[in-house]
Amino acid sequence: MTHVAPLAPEAITDPELRELIARCEELGVPDALFPRILARVPAYAKALLRAMLMSHAEGNVDHRLKEIIRVQLARFAGDPYFSRLRSRRALAAGLDEAAIDAGSGDYDDDPRFTPAEKLALRYADQMYLDPGKVDAALYAELKQHYSEAQIMELGAFIALHYGMQVFMRTLGTAEPAAR
Amino acid sequence: MATAPGKIDAAFHDELRRHYSEEELVELGAFIGFNIGYHTFFGTLKFYPMFAPDGRLVSQEESVRIYGAAPVSLAADRSAA
Repeated sequence: MTHVAPLAPEAITDPELRELIARCEELGVPDALFPRILARVPAYAKALLRAMLMSHAEGNVDHRLKEIIRVQLARFAGDPYFSRLRSRRALAAGLDEAAIDAGSGDYDDDPRFTPAEKLALRYADQMYLDPGKVDAALYAELKQHYSEAQIMELGAFIALHYGMQVFMRTLGTAEPAAR
Repeated sequence: MATAPGKIDAAFHDELRRHYSEEELVELGAFIGFNIGYHTFFGTLKFYPMFAPDGRLVSQEESVRIYGAAPVSLAADRSAA
C-alpha cells in the first residue's frame, strides 16, 4: 500500500485524464497506479502524464535507448515501482532484459552499445550521480552524436522521469498495478 | 526527498497529514520531484537569470558575477555540518 492511496478507477471521471491513463497502460510506463495517485490533483496529473508519455515515447531519440536509461535512473533512485515497469513498445521493438541490465552496469565496456548510446547512458548516469561531470566537455562530446534538439529531448526526459521516480519512491514500496 | 528520501516514510506522511490534505500531499510531492529532476538538469546547462535584481537585462557573464556560478546548496550545507 502506498502512503497516499490511489483513487479508484471509477472515481476518475475527467475524460482527458482517463484517456491519458489508458495511454500509460498501453505503453506500460507508468502503469495505472502512479496516474491514479496523481489523479488526486487532476490538472497536475494531466500535465505530468502528458509530459511523461511525450518525453518517453515520442521524439527523435530511440525509444529503446530511453527505456534502458529510464530503468537505470529508477534503480539509481531506489524506486522499486518504476524499476519493475517495462515499455511494451520497447520490448516489441526488440529490447530485452539483458540490454536493460547492461545499461545499469558496466555499459562503457559492453559491445552491444554504440558509442552514441554509451554517451547517452553516461549523460543520464552522471546527471544525478555526479552532475559536476556533466560539463562543457561532455556536452561537446554529445554534440558529436546528437543534435541540440536531441540533447534537450534526452535531458528533459531524464529530468522528468528521475523526478517522478524520486517522488514515487517516497510514496512507499509499490508493486506495479495488476492489469 | 532530495537528500535523504529514505526518511520520507509512513511516520513522516502521518505528520504531513496533520497539516495537508491527500491532494496537497500529491501536489507537493509532484512539485518537489519535478524540481529535483529539472534543477539538476538545468544546473548542467550553465545558464543564469536574464535580469539583474534591479530589472536590467544583463549578459550571462554579468549574471554569473551578480548571482554566483553555483547556488548555495542545502546538500552542501549538510555535508559541511
